Amino acid sequence: MNRPAGRLDRTDARVAWLLMAPAFLVMIVVAIVPIGMTAWEALHVHDLRLPWLGRPFSGLDNFVEAAQDARFRGAVVHTLGFAIVSVAFELVLGVAFALLMHSVTRGRGPIRAMVLLPWAVPTVVAALVWRFLFESQGGLVSTTLRDAGVVAASFDWFVHPWAAWVPIVVADIWKTTPFVALLLLAGLQAIDPSLDEAARVDGAGAARRLFTITLPLLAPAVVVAAAFRMLDALRIFDLAYVLTGGGPGTATEPLSLYAFATVMQRLRFGYGAALSISVFLLTFAFALVWVRALGRSLVEKEPA
Amino acid sequence: MSSRSVRLLLLLACAGAACSLPEGPEPLTFSGSALGTEGTLVRSQLARFEERHPGVRVELRVTPDAADQRHQLYVQWLNARVRHPDVLQLDVIWTAEFAAAGWIMSLDDALPDVGDFLPAALAAAQWNGGLYAAPWFVDVGLLYWRTDLLPEAPRSLPELGDAARHAVSTGAVPFGLVWQGARYEGLVTVFLEHLGAFGGRILAPDGRVTVDEPAAVRALTFMRDALGPRGFVPPSALTWQEEQVRFAFQNGDAMFMRNWPYAWTLLADSARSRVAGRYSIAPFPSAAGGEITAALGGAQLAVNAHSANPSLARDLVAFLTAPEQMLERARFVSQLPARQSLYEAPALADALPLPLDQVRAALAAARPRPVTPVYSELSEILQVHLHRALSGQETPATALRDAAAEIRMLLARSGLAAPGTAP
Repeated sequence: MNRPAGRLDRTDARVAWLLMAPAFLVMIVVAIVPIGMTAWEALHVHDLRLPWLGRPFSGLDNFVEAAQDARFRGAVVHTLGFAIVSVAFELVLGVAFALLMHSVTRGRGPIRAMVLLPWAVPTVVAALVWRFLFESQGGLVSTTLRDAGVVAASFDWFVHPWAAWVPIVVADIWKTTPFVALLLLAGLQAIDPSLDEAARVDGAGAARRLFTITLPLLAPAVVVAAAFRMLDALRIFDLAYVLTGGGPGTATEPLSLYAFATVMQRLRFGYGAALSISVFLLTFAFALVWVRALGRSLVEKEPA
Repeated sequence: MSSRSVRLLLLLACAGAACSLPEGPEPLTFSGSALGTEGTLVRSQLARFEERHPGVRVELRVTPDAADQRHQLYVQWLNARVRHPDVLQLDVIWTAEFAAAGWIMSLDDALPDVGDFLPAALAAAQWNGGLYAAPWFVDVGLLYWRTDLLPEAPRSLPELGDAARHAVSTGAVPFGLVWQGARYEGLVTVFLEHLGAFGGRILAPDGRVTVDEPAAVRALTFMRDALGPRGFVPPSALTWQEEQVRFAFQNGDAMFMRNWPYAWTLLADSARSRVAGRYSIAPFPSAAGGEITAALGGAQLAVNAHSANPSLARDLVAFLTAPEQMLERARFVSQLPARQSLYEAPALADALPLPLDQVRAALAAARPRPVTPVYSELSEILQVHLHRALSGQETPATALRDAAAEIRMLLARSGLAAPGTAP
């Protein structure tokens, strides 16, 4: 059989489709249909508290309202800001941890398990622990900083619009850096060690080898890790919900939390659906841009 | 197939699903708080109702005590038009919302002695001129004060401020006053009391939004200054709910506390409380141009609009809100009765641990929160802007101007430009 690899004849193709059908069906039922229904809901006025308004079609009114809604715009800024800052920290720390784990020769298994522990803790539990740590009265972080004279006695992290971000970002970094580190470790292990050895023989120093060999070759793994983390961070909900509730005021309110409050507390299903769709669009837009701009250029360069 | 074999099949199918064949009439279902002593009380009262109505079974469906969670659960059930629970315990601020949505049925002419209910509680149970719930028990905001630090309760808000500031500056206590400042419903009740104390209102009786008027700005400015560097309320209060506030007062850290009646019994427990025997209560005082105002809380009972047994359900509501049951509730769980006549009867003074004259004074000043189906959103708008002003992100005037504008927009969008009137 001299058929070129990757090509299927008709029967095979049919069997392939048949085998994939259940997966497609599941995807349609659990992902496509709900997103479609939410999008349709977003085009309606629908408020459970106000049944006399009915459920009239309102076109893009909900999206127009969102564009004029200062709280929504704030939430977009918060979501993007949080995602960029926390993922940047996670990537830098993740690379460092991955290099560290890669260079360790003894006890690799236990070290990896230890590094992965924060990732295994449920986010809500982790958030509660961090809340205790940052609480003004008796919180470990607060008392330590107070004793060191860094902050005033009456300082409260959760009362300041900027300081309130610190527990959220720190908790996210603590929790997800291990994930990034493991992804990058896999990337490191895929790099041919002979390249490093050749450079060493040629007299390149450790820093030189890191910046001209290891990091460039690790870049594709970094791009993948960043994509995973950004998509996750743009949907941030639980950390903000538990740690600050979006406060003070709405200074730490991300989009998902605003959408949740709109649907579950205000019972404005139509507007809430529009907000949820905007979370989806934001994530989707990021994924598209990321894959097109960075992903492709790196993937294409790699074989050269 | 014979009916016998059908029955047999049903039995077999049911055995797998752990159900039983229907026997007798469907039970009446009641949903509400039923933890600890309160649970024992509710169960015994329901059992008494069963005794009086032979053949009737009442099933208790415990729902979460956290208000948001219970609200969410009720919305899911009622919006799906399920028949159970027949009788629901509602927070006072939900009644208008549920009535307007058509989820609970009118109780007009279903209850005896409606005129006996406390006026503020009755106002919160009505929507569009009709009665939709029966006041069950009431909660009222109180000022707790330290009898070892002060000879008598402050007569005005400025007097309270002076005493609190003095106590902090002399080091008698770390905090002067503690209140619920987290961004949640409790903050609105604290604001409502300051607002009334300065002569302001959230909505005027005719439904206009008046929360941006000068009196309101003065009230919020007072609250913000109290948090400031020369103030007497700790900044951390902006993250505190009822329990954190109680802990601060209970540990002896504060001279004054704004809280609900429930704290009385817990503070009296000398094993846990450092202020046992050294505190009393008074109505939250007023400032110039205003009047003493106490936020009204509490619970009401309503009947599911899709109940299969509405008349029996109404009977249960009437039974549970009868004076006898209310008095028993006061005795066992210290919850204040919602009937005026009981405050004149000596039995209540024996039943309640709190000083009844002060409770009566606070109840006389009780004010319901705005009665509107969109209350939850109105409250959320206020919470956000109040919290921004108190955490220094907006000035009190800007915060209230924006809050008022958003509330006006909300009422207009809902077709409720003048709350209290449904289209």
